[in-house]
Amino acid sequence: MTDASSPLRRPSLPRETALRVRMRRSGELAVKILSNPTTIFGFVIILLMLSMALFAPWLTTPNAPDPYQMPRDWGALRMPPGTPNHPLGTTNTGGDVLYGIIWGSRTSLQLSIIVVSVTVVIGTAIGSIAGMVGGKIDEILMRIVDVFLSIPELIFALAIAAILGPSFTNIILSLCLVFWVKYARIMRAQIILVKQNDYVDAARIMGDSRLNIYFRDILPNAATPVIVQATLDMGAIVLIGATLSFIGLAESGIAEWGVLVSEGQAGIASGRWWASTFPGLMIFLWALAFNLVGDGLRDALDPRTEGR
Amino acid sequence: MTRLQSSFTPDASKDGGTLLSVRDVAKHYPIRSGALQRVVGQVRAVDGVSFDIRRGETLGLVGESGCGKTTLGRLVSGLIAPTSGQTYYDLDSSSLAALDAAQTLPEAERHAALAAINAAHGIETMPIEAKNRFRRNCQMVFQDSFSSLNPRHLVIDLVGRPLRVHKEASGSDLTERVVELLEQVGLGRQHLYRYPHQFSGGQRQRISIARALALDPELIILDEPTSALDVSVQAQILNLLNDLQAERNLAYLFVTHDLSVVEHMADRIVTMYLGKVVEAGPTRSIFDASAHPYTRALMAAKLDLGPAGAASENKAVLDGAVPDPARPPRGCRFHTRCPVATAQCGWEIDDIVRILERHEALCDTLTDVTRESDFAGTLVFEDADAAQKMAAVLASEAVPQPFRDALELAETTGTKLRVRFRQAEDIKLTRRGPDHLAACVLG
Repeated sequence: MTDASSPLRRPSLPRETALRVRMRRSGELAVKILSNPTTIFGFVIILLMLSMALFAPWLTTPNAPDPYQMPRDWGALRMPPGTPNHPLGTTNTGGDVLYGIIWGSRTSLQLSIIVVSVTVVIGTAIGSIAGMVGGKIDEILMRIVDVFLSIPELIFALAIAAILGPSFTNIILSLCLVFWVKYARIMRAQIILVKQNDYVDAARIMGDSRLNIYFRDILPNAATPVIVQATLDMGAIVLIGATLSFIGLAESGIAEWGVLVSEGQAGIASGRWWASTFPGLMIFLWALAFNLVGDGLRDALDPRTEGR
Repeated sequence: MTRLQSSFTPDASKDGGTLLSVRDVAKHYPIRSGALQRVVGQVRAVDGVSFDIRRGETLGLVGESGCGKTTLGRLVSGLIAPTSGQTYYDLDSSSLAALDAAQTLPEAERHAALAAINAAHGIETMPIEAKNRFRRNCQMVFQDSFSSLNPRHLVIDLVGRPLRVHKEASGSDLTERVVELLEQVGLGRQHLYRYPHQFSGGQRQRISIARALALDPELIILDEPTSALDVSVQAQILNLLNDLQAERNLAYLFVTHDLSVVEHMADRIVTMYLGKVVEAGPTRSIFDASAHPYTRALMAAKLDLGPAGAASENKAVLDGAVPDPARPPRGCRFHTRCPVATAQCGWEIDDIVRILERHEALCDTLTDVTRESDFAGTLVFEDADAAQKMAAVLASEAVPQPFRDALELAETTGTKLRVRFRQAEDIKLTRRGPDHLAACVLG
């Protein structure tokens, strides 16, 4: 009875279910993504930023009536870091730098989440139509994409925002109009690649509908590069958004990192470094964190290393 | 192997009847070129093929790579639409007779005669309910089991999907049906919740077969199902396929380049070359007395694996490359490589070009070709000397004897060389024995 291979002695396995197997696979994937130290570093930064945005009303007293406007302390203009009530100093106009950083994280999060989700949806839809339908429609859509791609993102967004007039909402709008193009390109290429797999033909032969084939076979196998690109863009969009507001395309006085850097830069020559440096550091950390996580995702989701 | 050998002709209606009738099916792919993407030619992947698949039989479809056999498999399954011709599903013997009678009618009358059959049985034109019935009854197993199983689906979803699509089962009923199917292909309940990458190549092919069996089809198209597997695993899969066929009265269309597999599996064989059927007949009759030199060449190539010596005299039988399917040779398409070609095999102007390619110096001096037909034309060279040289080459040992026999005229006037070949029609399939057809001018 000590023979382990005897069928009588085989240990009874826990009852497998599809849900359990899928959850285990997601768990394995999470472990794989987090096995890279730089990815963990990026994740930690992102988590800190997120909690900062989440707890902003408790970390500082919200400015009334609009908490996204910088509070002005007219009695404490241009104070250096370490001043009582203003641990990171104040700006030319008496804005508290710490307040700007904390509420600026909300602004940045808003910007990147709105822009990324809108552009991913638009880009995926247009890329999918082009890749699935093909022919003339594909040709027309891709020529439109080419036109968009021939203009640098920043310049294009700048032009649109300038036409719409300076406001933070218009920055979001202009970025949405510019950033979907990349996703459409990636999605179309992926779909054309995935469509060639025999499992798509197998599904057609068993008589499944085109919509089912798209959602069950094609989209899940085509989505990975878009997910990676979206993660990288979460950082890139804050960078470009900050650039646009630095140039002056957002309302002045708004708690936004790019605006803060812009307002503080006049004082740098006279030694008041803090008003620009701290928000600048935040922009840097935000972009870095999403880049690290995006790279980690790309490695972990690489189809060549992923179990096929 | 007690099963009756079935016939290619409609009159011999026994053995359960015809399941699928392929009639004059062609698939041409346009070649586009230039900035405007104009169509400059057609690749004739499949060029007018007809055959029947009968219930419960295995039909072997053999040929070299690029002969159109995979394309034909996809045409038969309805995955791609033919350029012309059609596949008919589930014809009774009277419709089948009507269909074959219509093939001989002139173009205009044929359309009228076929309208009713097309509407009811043609897989491209049948109503949606009939098409659904065809979808359930015609499944496919692909060569590459990596690519044919969605890597993100569990085995239960892969094998159970046809049942879900056709609303045959769900919930625990579905699980039991899938287990049953897995057991039939030698897998079991313990494999239900695994991903395809957790299996070996042979096991993945078993999963593919289980999926194809799910709807209890009448026909499975097997597109080189074993050519990506080790020899020992190959044998297991082939035996599994044979057992399943005996159990379920399945018909197989077995597409392969491997003649030993076909000999083991098929009741009848269809040999294809450059998009056309060159020979068709019962397996035994093809292996014992093949009537087409191309089939013989394929079999010689197969023997190469055996003990040395047995096949040495046939070794060099298939030399040269397959001609460009965009400009298939006239007459018999195999004549450019055929070891026993004759003057009647359809030698043509293009054969001169094929010879010129071997004489690069002459090729460079050729400036123009004007064709009166495929068989007559004028070649213009840079100088009279080159034209003389070409004429000499065409009359020398450098070209095959049957080519010289077919060349009726080759006269030079200055820089021009006028040539004319014997006219030849496309070679038709002719009867060689019971159910045995071959397209060759030789008896």
